[in-house]
Amino acid sequence: MSTEKYNIKQEIETLREDCLRPTRTFNRTTQMWVGFLLMVMGWGLYCYIHQLGHGLGVTAMRDYVSWGLYISTFVFFIGISHSGTLVSAILRITKQEWRRPITRSAELLTFVSLLFGGIQPIIDLGHPERIGNLVLFGRVQSPLMWDVISILTYFTGSTVFLFLPMIPDMALCRDRLTVVDTRFKRFKKWLYTKMALGWQGTKSQWHRLEKTMTIMTIVIIPVAVSVHTVVSYIFAMTLRPGWNSTVFGIYFVVGALYSGSAGVILGMAAFRKFYHLEKYLTPRHFDLIGRIVLALTLFYAYLNMNEYWIPAYKMATAEGHLLRDLFYGDYSKVFWTLQFGTVLLPIIVMSFPKGRKITPLVIICIIIVIGAWIKRYLIVVPTMLHPFLPIQDVTTQWSDYFPNYVEFSVEAACVAGIFLVITIFSKLFPMMAVWEVEEGIQINHDNATAIELRKEREAEDAKTIEGLPISGDQSIKQQV
Amino acid sequence: MKIIKKTALAIIITGLLCNITFAQDEPKTSRKSEATIALSYYKKADMSRKSIATVKTKNKEGKFVPAINATVNFYVLNGNEQQLLKSASTDNKGKAEIEIQKVLPLGEDLSFTIVAKIEKENLYDDVEEQMHYKNANLSLNLNPHDTSRIATARVTEIDKDGKETPVKDVELKFYVKRLFGIMPAAEENTITTNENGEASFEFPKNVPGDTAGTISVAVRLEDNEQFGNLENSATTSWGTTLAIIKDPFPRALWGAHAPWGIIITLSLLFGGVWTTYFYIFLLIRNIKKEGDTLKQKTTT
Repeated sequence: MSTEKYNIKQEIETLREDCLRPTRTFNRTTQMWVGFLLMVMGWGLYCYIHQLGHGLGVTAMRDYVSWGLYISTFVFFIGISHSGTLVSAILRITKQEWRRPITRSAELLTFVSLLFGGIQPIIDLGHPERIGNLVLFGRVQSPLMWDVISILTYFTGSTVFLFLPMIPDMALCRDRLTVVDTRFKRFKKWLYTKMALGWQGTKSQWHRLEKTMTIMTIVIIPVAVSVHTVVSYIFAMTLRPGWNSTVFGIYFVVGALYSGSAGVILGMAAFRKFYHLEKYLTPRHFDLIGRIVLALTLFYAYLNMNEYWIPAYKMATAEGHLLRDLFYGDYSKVFWTLQFGTVLLPIIVMSFPKGRKITPLVIICIIIVIGAWIKRYLIVVPTMLHPFLPIQDVTTQWSDYFPNYVEFSVEAACVAGIFLVITIFSKLFPMMAVWEVEEGIQINHDNATAIELRKEREAEDAKTIEGLPISGDQSIKQQV
Repeated sequence: MKIIKKTALAIIITGLLCNITFAQDEPKTSRKSEATIALSYYKKADMSRKSIATVKTKNKEGKFVPAINATVNFYVLNGNEQQLLKSASTDNKGKAEIEIQKVLPLGEDLSFTIVAKIEKENLYDDVEEQMHYKNANLSLNLNPHDTSRIATARVTEIDKDGKETPVKDVELKFYVKRLFGIMPAAEENTITTNENGEASFEFPKNVPGDTAGTISVAVRLEDNEQFGNLENSATTSWGTTLAIIKDPFPRALWGAHAPWGIIITLSLLFGGVWTTYFYIFLLIRNIKKEGDTLKQKTTT
């Protein structure tokens, strides 16, 4: 028994070391990576300043397509942000033990994608300084107003939801950082101390933490669902071909979960590879989350069919023009590639256990995530190019749209920003909820001990039954 | 080996023949596009006159589309000579417009001739179009005190000496100007002029005006073979007065104030969530408080 205790202690110690190791190093490769990201962000910032100075005319957007790449990316990022809610909150509430090593990365992905997704509509404004007018003169009836409120609510909730399980880990980091010989280490010590909130791991502190986490887990799920439903309302509450749909709410929510969980797999795979967490993020985790992505893809495919098949059956005039363009017009190649490549192909591949192994799953998830982004573009742009009143008497450039270098540069900067925040986060904080994984190890151990004890008891019972006199009443044996 | 060589030779020869055939089929492509001009003439109430040339060209599908940035030269015919009036470039709609001077040289039939030309253009082939119109006036008389609301318009032709002669048997149309356009004053708004060149139109009594009942009445002579397009307008108080309701939609989706249902629902939903957040913040504060107390105890 004492050897086992020692083994658990050793296992927990190894886990702590494995999780804290990346926070102690900032090697040349990381420095170069951060430098590269800063360069991309710098160029994007320059392009955005250019856009601010000269107006939205420097982008490819014009009168008809006033929502282009920026709003498509906004919908995409908000979709990716659903990952944290799904993986962390839903798996937590359903008490799935295998969630433990992956919750932190999922919650972080939610936080960063909301951070950069939320600013997209502001980037899309010609006069971003007027954003305050939305608060001062905003109309409660407008879905745009609901969107602002719900995204702010979700962002606040996600930040708290990310922070709460970090409190015991911050205390661990604080206590482990004993040598503070440099300014950066002093800063880290200060940061950990502040974020640990004086955590001592007392019974009442644990009780309070568990209580807050349970409440947040319950609250964050409807908030997340409401956010993407409201994002869909921006489109669905507008009378336009392609957007005038009653399934848009659930279509957006499921689409978000499907791309978000694929995003989580990519994050998991990256952290596993770069921070050597193979021991904790096992192929079993990938297989299980792969099953979730498969289920979501199937549901998404069903909603996709509803979204296109029903209007295609009717082919109402304006809707018909849009659908023809999507089915066999200018957008047909992209549309069918998405349907087959990002919906049908993932279903086929992930249906087989071999397809849920790490490498094929990562490839499929890359396809899903890129496809989800292009799909958002297909939701936004073709509809804007097919208004009810036909486009006429305008130059040909106005009746077509493809993002130009300004838009691509600004979006590249946002993606670089996401990677930068994740990189810096992973260099400051453990990428797994250490105490949660420890708890998992303890539960596993307790279960194993309980099984052993039960086996021992069963063996003793069997011996007792064996010892009973054969000539005695047979019913006693039967009762036993 | 021989078979391969022969096959290869056959393919090359076939390819060459096809190439020659296709080359012969290709039309001689000219860099310039064919263009057409349609000319029109307008005279407004303030006596200003303008000529508009609408230039079209064919696109790759053979459909007519506006010819953009084509330079159109406008000439006036003086005897046998063409005098350049002005040049103008076509806009996005393929229209080039110039103001015409008040006095133009007239021909024997008292008409003036304007010629529009595209010449020596890089994008378009040379093309020209001309129009002949006589100078005329269109006047409109409205008496605001007239309870029968009769609008009288008069068309007169102007000769070389400026003498006006009534024009009979031309159709005039009466309109009401609106914020974004112009609409017929009645279902039947066309009146033909009499021997005095006059056309009288009984204005309907139910046309909405502004708060004072003011409306703007317009009369037009449209696409006339002799006189082109003439227009005149005047304001009068023949409209019905508009009663402005101060707050037509006290609470509506499209109004300034949201319906109570939306306000209550959103307040309950988001209020509930934010109240929970504040409770969470309180619990976090308590965790910190406890930590601080423990720290103090250990230090003392």
